[in-house]
Amino acid sequence: MIEFAMQKAWLIPFLPFLSFVLIGLITKRSEKLSAFISIACILTSFVLAILVAVGIFGAGEEFIEKSFEYSARWFSMPGLEISMGVKLDPVSSMMLFVVTLVASLVQIYSLGYMHGDPGFSRFFAYLSLFAASMLGLVIATNLLQMFVFWELVGLCSYLLIGYYYFKVSAREAAKKAFMTTRIGDFGMLLGILFLQIVFGTLNFTELAEIVPKYADYGITLGTLNLIAILLFIGPVGKSGQFPLHVWLPDAMEGPTPVSALIHAATMVVAGVYLVGRTLFLYKTATTAAEVVAYVGGFTAFFAATIALTQIEMKRILAYSTVSQLGYMIMALGVGSLTASMFQLFTHAFFKALMFLGAGSVLHAMHGKVNVWDFGGLRKKMPYTAWTFVIGGLAIAGIWPFAGFYSKDEILLEAFNTGHTGLFWLAVITAAMTAFYMWRMIFLTFFGEEKAENHPHESPFSMLLPLFVLAFLSVVGGWVALPEHGWGYYIRLGEHEAGHAPAWMIATATTAAVGGIALAAAMYWKKIISYEAVGKAAGPLYTLSFNKYFIDEFYLWINHTIVDGLGRLLYWVDIYVVDGIVNGLGFFTKEAGAVLRHTQTGRLQNYALILFAAVVVLVLYMYFKSPAAAMIVLGGGN
Amino acid sequence: MSDAVFTVAFYVFSAVTVLAALGVVLKKNLVHSALLLILAFVGVAGIYVLLQADFIAAVQILVYAGAVAILVAFGVMLTKRGDIRESNLANRQKWPALFVVAGVFAVIYALLGQTNWGPLAAAGPEDSVGILATLMLTDFVVPFETAAILLTVAMLGAIVIAKEVKNSK
Amino acid sequence: MNIDYSLLTIEMLTAGLALGLLVLSLVVPGDQRKGFGYLTAAGLAIIFAISFAFNGVNKEIIGGMYLIDDFGNFFKQLALVAGVLVALASIPYVEKLESYRGEYYSLLVFATLGMVVMVGAGDLISLYLGLELMTITFFVLTAFKRGDSKSAEAGIKYVLLGAMSSAILLYGLSMLYGVAKTTVISELVSTIQAGQISPALILGLMFLVGGFGFKISAVPFHMWSPDVYEGAPTPVTSYLAVGSKAAAFAAFVRIFMGGMPQIQEIWIALFAGLSALSMIIGNLIAIPQTNIKRMLAFSGVAQAGYILTGMVAGTNAGIKGLAFYLMIYVFATIGAFTVAIGFSNATGSDEIKDMAGLSQRNPLMAAVMLVCLLSMAGIPPLAGFAGKLFLFSAIVAQGKLWLALVGLIMSMVSVYYYLSVAKSMYMGEAADPSPIEIPGSLKLVLIVSMVVTIFLGIYPAPLTGLAEAAASVFALK
Repeated sequence: MIEFAMQKAWLIPFLPFLSFVLIGLITKRSEKLSAFISIACILTSFVLAILVAVGIFGAGEEFIEKSFEYSARWFSMPGLEISMGVKLDPVSSMMLFVVTLVASLVQIYSLGYMHGDPGFSRFFAYLSLFAASMLGLVIATNLLQMFVFWELVGLCSYLLIGYYYFKVSAREAAKKAFMTTRIGDFGMLLGILFLQIVFGTLNFTELAEIVPKYADYGITLGTLNLIAILLFIGPVGKSGQFPLHVWLPDAMEGPTPVSALIHAATMVVAGVYLVGRTLFLYKTATTAAEVVAYVGGFTAFFAATIALTQIEMKRILAYSTVSQLGYMIMALGVGSLTASMFQLFTHAFFKALMFLGAGSVLHAMHGKVNVWDFGGLRKKMPYTAWTFVIGGLAIAGIWPFAGFYSKDEILLEAFNTGHTGLFWLAVITAAMTAFYMWRMIFLTFFGEEKAENHPHESPFSMLLPLFVLAFLSVVGGWVALPEHGWGYYIRLGEHEAGHAPAWMIATATTAAVGGIALAAAMYWKKIISYEAVGKAAGPLYTLSFNKYFIDEFYLWINHTIVDGLGRLLYWVDIYVVDGIVNGLGFFTKEAGAVLRHTQTGRLQNYALILFAAVVVLVLYMYFKSPAAAMIVLGGGN
Repeated sequence: MSDAVFTVAFYVFSAVTVLAALGVVLKKNLVHSALLLILAFVGVAGIYVLLQADFIAAVQILVYAGAVAILVAFGVMLTKRGDIRESNLANRQKWPALFVVAGVFAVIYALLGQTNWGPLAAAGPEDSVGILATLMLTDFVVPFETAAILLTVAMLGAIVIAKEVKNSK
Repeated sequence: MNIDYSLLTIEMLTAGLALGLLVLSLVVPGDQRKGFGYLTAAGLAIIFAISFAFNGVNKEIIGGMYLIDDFGNFFKQLALVAGVLVALASIPYVEKLESYRGEYYSLLVFATLGMVVMVGAGDLISLYLGLELMTITFFVLTAFKRGDSKSAEAGIKYVLLGAMSSAILLYGLSMLYGVAKTTVISELVSTIQAGQISPALILGLMFLVGGFGFKISAVPFHMWSPDVYEGAPTPVTSYLAVGSKAAAFAAFVRIFMGGMPQIQEIWIALFAGLSALSMIIGNLIAIPQTNIKRMLAFSGVAQAGYILTGMVAGTNAGIKGLAFYLMIYVFATIGAFTVAIGFSNATGSDEIKDMAGLSQRNPLMAAVMLVCLLSMAGIPPLAGFAGKLFLFSAIVAQGKLWLALVGLIMSMVSVYYYLSVAKSMYMGEAADPSPIEIPGSLKLVLIVSMVVTIFLGIYPAPLTGLAEAAASVFALK
């Protein structure tokens, strides 16, 4: 059974894809059948993923160094052989488990959440394709295969974020997500191209062996660093790192289950996963690794400061995702695959939990989004409220919840590798995380009930995933503990985890508890006036509330430069290219008349340009070609 | 033919061709332009004779000077409405056109003048028609047949387009 | 002299089909000419099937005057398959014509014949006659829309500019003959020596570049294409965009790669410049276009730039990429134009803004348009991605990284205007939400285009095999 699952692991992405095709082509009209097919496929994939995980982790240390890998030739050309394959090792099998689990729960949740939506079947089809793309990315054996699925993931996110296409904001958000991540993809494609040119292969296993011997391939360490940084630009876009993070908070325009899927398990962690997969590159290219670490650390801190003042539930969660991803990227930058993947693992559970919980709240509040409009919801929605509280404790890093272990691991690695600055930045971020999360929790679930709200608890299909995720948010940390859990096997090189010293645990816990306490004082017990604090912060508050005006800045760039260039070139074609010809006629003082007769004038213009271009070409060739030199020298030899 | 006679004849035919062609463009009356076109064709035919391409020269006179130009003249007379004396006016791109044409000429003149064309071929064959006929049905059978189809298409196209003009009135 | 006429089966069958249709249209009464489109498509499809018998046959007729080889056969197959799709896509358009229905299809097949002769030609005269057969047929087809001033205008523009470009090309060919003293392309290799490049040869080559540049609509010879594309009947536009371009590219490659690879270094830098210019100008001017046909025309200019990179590489890998890209370009372009045909047939509009909400009015059309445009943009896993990969890796292998970068950047830019069509179709509000019905023949073309574009993206191996065989005809690096 385990053997079968490992041999046929390609079924894991294939089944959701099959469900996408089936729904799209056949069962679109029947909502129930579509949902059934979709959920059945993803659950089967989940079971297969569990079997694969058992097979990989059960085999002890066998697969750490040498992954279980097979592939088929896809296409080839001289110097380039591209195959599609399956690569199973502890990292990918953990990811398979997380992705299929979260995707299954999100689909079950969607049964209730999307009930009555006119595009019900379409939604499930997209979800299936999304999961399939992500799973295909996870098992990729080489960078090109990964890139293909990477783009598919991007396309799906475009479709899903723009799911409510009748909303202008959703359309804009979808476009923004697509465009922003494409900027990243461009850099990444360059990186891939360079790797192919220099090393002649894109296979992870082969690259891992030859990259440390980069000098044999005729490049310097500086070039390798450049390649690594180019490659990192892709994850910067996909995983919402500064400065390409702007699309992620807007991505909540999609239906909430999609946000949960994007934020917890699919799209955004693709970037982290890519860096994790190519970590051997960053082990060698240490300057690039430093860049990665500081981008991650800064993003974590920066996004947390924005989250402090946001007022929409999903937006707070979105910035928290950006911040948490920053942690993961930072962990990779300091060289710890274990810490990063551990954080990814636990984060997937509590972030999915909180997004689905937020969805449950929004579902009950009929479209209200401002946390200040909520209050006291724990009485009417006890299950949602208490599972959400568990998520809040987990993300704040309170013992014994999952986030405690993974966050400690990252702090420890940052400190051990000598990044003391990053360590303290991470501690401050942890305090802020606890504060803004609990600010939201207190404002939403505690305090006075508002009379105008008529909340109700969500249906069972929506609560079930919450229970499962809440449970995992508690125990998830133990499953993957680096000492003896899955985390032991997920590593690059030697086992690296140690025990965090007591002072570090104390510091981290103090930061978290302090953040929660401050939030309680300001927003629950109202001991400290939040208005006074906001006033005192002054311009800082404005900056944070407006997300540092980065969106506005990009919009300005887009409007003035990109659109402008297109218009400019069009203008050049109309006025300058034609104008050059007409300008010659200026000497006859009749140029204006030519412009007025465009219909009859144009044809002649075209003809003139045709001939003029030929003349220019001849002159160019005559004076520039090596032949010209030969003519001058007397006809060559 | 002595070299001197050849040279004189060449410049005469060239001058006729060039001046007639300029007249085609510059004459304001389209009928005059069409008639000058015949003269230009005849001038080119003279150059063909000088190059010992007697068959091409004959075809040039029969087909171009005889048929094509007359067809053009007929076309002008049948379709043109309004004052025939003002039918072929230059548009307002005379000067830019002159500039570009001068450029094309200068380039061609300069580059061709610098070229060493290698030894000239021996005198042309006596019976060029017979050789051409043989070649067209042997070595050049594919282009020959293609040309036949091309002419069919041209005729078909002329009918389709011309008839349409009549219909749409 | 003995000529093995069986080698000319494809040419003769195509000519026979065209003449047969012409005769048939005279014999069959005007009101009973409904089946011509299907007949044409079926005829071309049969010839297409027969053409596979010539895969792997590499023979020359009359000392290299005409070539039956894998390269020619690849482009013959391209012309034929494009002809089948265009014939099917023409059916609703032709049904609206009052007369000359049979003649329309006959001319379509004559154009195909022109392409077939052009790509098989082994000497300059056959090549030129094939090119003229194709071009003159297109003159007529462009002006075919009766009583439509735009079509007439496009026809006139195409006739005049096309004649000028042909004149330039012919002049260039005559220079080439004057320098090389032969019209057989394969003999050019020995008569033109790398060390002895005369000024007349430079002149001739640049005239050839001008003439072919016009046919493939590369900047700065592209200016006719938007006007002609817009005015011509849309099925004709689609054939013009793929068939004429592909055949011109094939002839271009035949002369430059087959006849003059020894003097590569003098023209490669120039081609690189033209390619970059076409990619940049084509893509940027496509952005503000509001008419789908004009947008596709400018996008076609940019595509010509991408395809030219295959010649810039100057290697077999480059030719392979070029052949591969042209073939997939057939499906993506005809798919996109067929959506435009169906749309304007139902609504009378070619404007992008009128396509708003198309995904609700006809999901198939919207999906095909999306797939085709994304393929042109080079988004994986569609065929265009594989095509660009082949082309760009071929030039990178030759150390022309900058050109690949220009290509990549401009591909990113192209995503912008392709997606704005997609946005309009998928997220716009339809002014008139009534569903659009399209005839079965169009549906067939749409589905074939989409399936092939997706299939060749996911599994390009069958086509890469053919393209590789085609490229191996040339003895390059």
